[in-house]
Amino acid sequence: MTVHRLATSVALLLAALAYFVPAVAGGSPVAYAACTTIAILAVMSYGADLILSYLGEVSLGHTIFWAAGGYAAALLSVNAGWSGLPTAAAAVVVAIVLAVALGLATLRTREFVFSLVTYAAAVVAMEIAFNWSFLGGSDGIVGIPPLTIAVGSWRLSASGNDQLWPIAWVVLMATLLFIHRFRHSRLGTSALMVQMNPDLATALGIDARKVRLGVFVASAPISALAGWLYAYQRAYVGPDMFETYFLVLMLTAIVIVGRRLLLGPLIGTALIIVQQTFFSIGGDGDKIVLGSVLAAILLLWPRGLVGLWTVLASRPRVHGR
Amino acid sequence: MTIDLEATGLSVRYGGNVAVDGVDLAVPTGRMVGMVGANGAGKSTLINALAGWSRGTPVVRGTVRLGGASMDGLSPHRRAAQGLVLVPEGKGIFSELTVMENLALVRPPADTTGRHLFSMEEIHELFPRLAERRHHKGGMLSGGERQMVAVSRALRAAPRVLLLDEPSAGLAPRLVYELLETMRKLVDRGLSLLLVEQNVRATLELVDELYLLERGKVVARGPAAAMKNDPRILEAYLGSLTA
Amino acid sequence: MNILQQLINGLVLGSGYALIAIGWTVLLGAARLVNFAHGQLYMLGAFVAWAVMTKLGVNYFLAVPIAVVALGLLGVGLQGLMLRPVMQQNLTSLMIVTLGFGYVFQGGAARLFGGDPERFVSPLQAAEIRIGEIWFTWQDVLTLVGTLLLFGALWLVLNRTRVGAVVRSVAEDPRLAQLFGINAALVYIGVFVFECAAVALGAGLVAPRSPILTSMGFDEVILTFVVVVLGGIGSVTGSLVAGFGLGLFTALFGALVSSAYTTAAAFFVLLAFLVLRPRGLAAR
Repeated sequence: MTVHRLATSVALLLAALAYFVPAVAGGSPVAYAACTTIAILAVMSYGADLILSYLGEVSLGHTIFWAAGGYAAALLSVNAGWSGLPTAAAAVVVAIVLAVALGLATLRTREFVFSLVTYAAAVVAMEIAFNWSFLGGSDGIVGIPPLTIAVGSWRLSASGNDQLWPIAWVVLMATLLFIHRFRHSRLGTSALMVQMNPDLATALGIDARKVRLGVFVASAPISALAGWLYAYQRAYVGPDMFETYFLVLMLTAIVIVGRRLLLGPLIGTALIIVQQTFFSIGGDGDKIVLGSVLAAILLLWPRGLVGLWTVLASRPRVHGR
Repeated sequence: MTIDLEATGLSVRYGGNVAVDGVDLAVPTGRMVGMVGANGAGKSTLINALAGWSRGTPVVRGTVRLGGASMDGLSPHRRAAQGLVLVPEGKGIFSELTVMENLALVRPPADTTGRHLFSMEEIHELFPRLAERRHHKGGMLSGGERQMVAVSRALRAAPRVLLLDEPSAGLAPRLVYELLETMRKLVDRGLSLLLVEQNVRATLELVDELYLLERGKVVARGPAAAMKNDPRILEAYLGSLTA
Repeated sequence: MNILQQLINGLVLGSGYALIAIGWTVLLGAARLVNFAHGQLYMLGAFVAWAVMTKLGVNYFLAVPIAVVALGLLGVGLQGLMLRPVMQQNLTSLMIVTLGFGYVFQGGAARLFGGDPERFVSPLQAAEIRIGEIWFTWQDVLTLVGTLLLFGALWLVLNRTRVGAVVRSVAEDPRLAQLFGINAALVYIGVFVFECAAVALGAGLVAPRSPILTSMGFDEVILTFVVVVLGGIGSVTGSLVAGFGLGLFTALFGALVSSAYTTAAAFFVLLAFLVLRPRGLAAR
């Protein structure tokens, strides 16, 4: 009990400290931009993390939910003048509807077939976004107003990264709390059991298909909320939200530190964005870096940097023998 | 007497479990050595480790020598090429390939010194049914026929030492006896053979030497005639079977 | 709208789809390996041939074989890197790894060849044949004949030779194959090299139809996937039939309904198939 309470206090302290990271990092616009982007892309990655870490499947379709969140925010704020909270709710609803449809269609697929169908769905979604004038076609939707959040008489309007950062921080912390709860939930433990020991799960009366669908649907709104915020950050959405960049970034962020770690995707995203912001070697060069890191991690240390750490930590003992 | 296959201090671990624990074993030239033991005693794990083969990822320690040459660190296909040929338990042939294709996958070696090469004619003489069935796919064969193909393919590989893992599993008793008799004939022609079996009675009839394995360790070994009267064999297997 | 013309377009398109997909079909059947870099390998095949032609002044008919060999060599390297997870059949990791490779190729190609559309020209592309209302090019004929020849040769090798039996044995049970004295690792490398070389050949024959870009390759992956799944995973004849079927479908759909949504339409055909015949996919 006390251990639990201690852990909670430490977590709250870390969360509070995280809020001041951009200020401590100099408080410059670049620092705020980097931190906000990290928070947004980390939240996006947590959506895919739910599938990869807990179901053991590779969803290549999470860019759909990410883009859906962005498009929902853009369409409703630009065309209907909705403020931040209603657009966020719409982003979540749209993502859930899409996830149920895609989840049902892929319910009986496994392994590479699941990955390929989700991947194909993403390519098709991009084609639709690119050609459908309702979604702005290839030009996308421009002129997204500043993110305004109104609760009663209280109003907050955020346009620059320094103003968006508190909201990004809240979304990130809420996501972390959600993932933490998920790991200990019935759905989360069932998902792990279905992945690790399907026969035992069936014997215990767990319906694998329901679990798969449940996790898939739970993961979609996370990526969608990230997309929602991304739309306000850039004041623009377009078919480029389907770019492989986001897909590769999600997967790399998840595997780089190690799967099934609460903070893994956040740290992974931070490493990638810091490289691309402060140590960039050009857009195409960064692609090479990101792709190589992804492949190298899985080929050399499949358990991520955490796995590498255990290898290094155990080495002296081997020598001692 | 020369030793064709020799293992010293062979241990196999799966994760934290020790399946085979420090086994020493020798198969002399032209002899048939039997290995018996209860289910889970580690017989299959042991014979697979001799071939360097497994469907899992075990950690193997100890040395295996074939005709004096070390096999340690060699992959299973290299060992097979050197004449250490294993017929695994259960699925031993490809069900999508015809009998002929299964047999043609194996390429007899150029240098057959110390090895026993069997021509297709000899194989058809040993197992006449296979000639009739040569264009059938493996999946369409009966259990006995599949076992014949599995053994035949091992013979086509010109074994120096043949490792047979429970060839009797799933076969009718008459077929078991026929198959083991055939194996005995091959040994009498000079082949060295290690046979893992559940069927202690049939094994004792045919082998020259017998090992008894319990919980991954060799608890008794000796000439078949002497082992027939070993109290542990009597008690554990023959006794319970006759009772 | 001339239906006969569309049927011919469909056959030409379809032979291209089948040709681009054949490497993947064999790879998936034999190694159960999904190569998400497939589209980028197609892109590389086209750009290598283009670069050899424009920078070294080599003839098209020599440039394509050079690209085939170059991609084959690349395949040796890639499969060498992936050998351990391939032997362990760690398929989830491998999928992501190939996705990473594809991304590296995309970035690398953009650096090497630039980001602009380039014209990869085959001399046969301009050689038209007109019969009444109908027209096609000698490049179309070459693609169709080349595809049929490659499929025929591949079918013979897989079903009538010892090498084919070895590949099929590894596809069924790589561990058991080891006991038959077969080096499964070598077979995996061979199959992967075939996939890379085949997609380079596909690029050499198909890519001259339109300008080439280093960012292309995604549509090729989707269409390849549809061909492989509809044809039955690992089935050579099935892929050929599915390729032609898809080609006719996209030609007619593009002409009669909408050309912008052809990939989407192909994907919905696939989804319908998945819902109707999920067992056909889950098998194996």
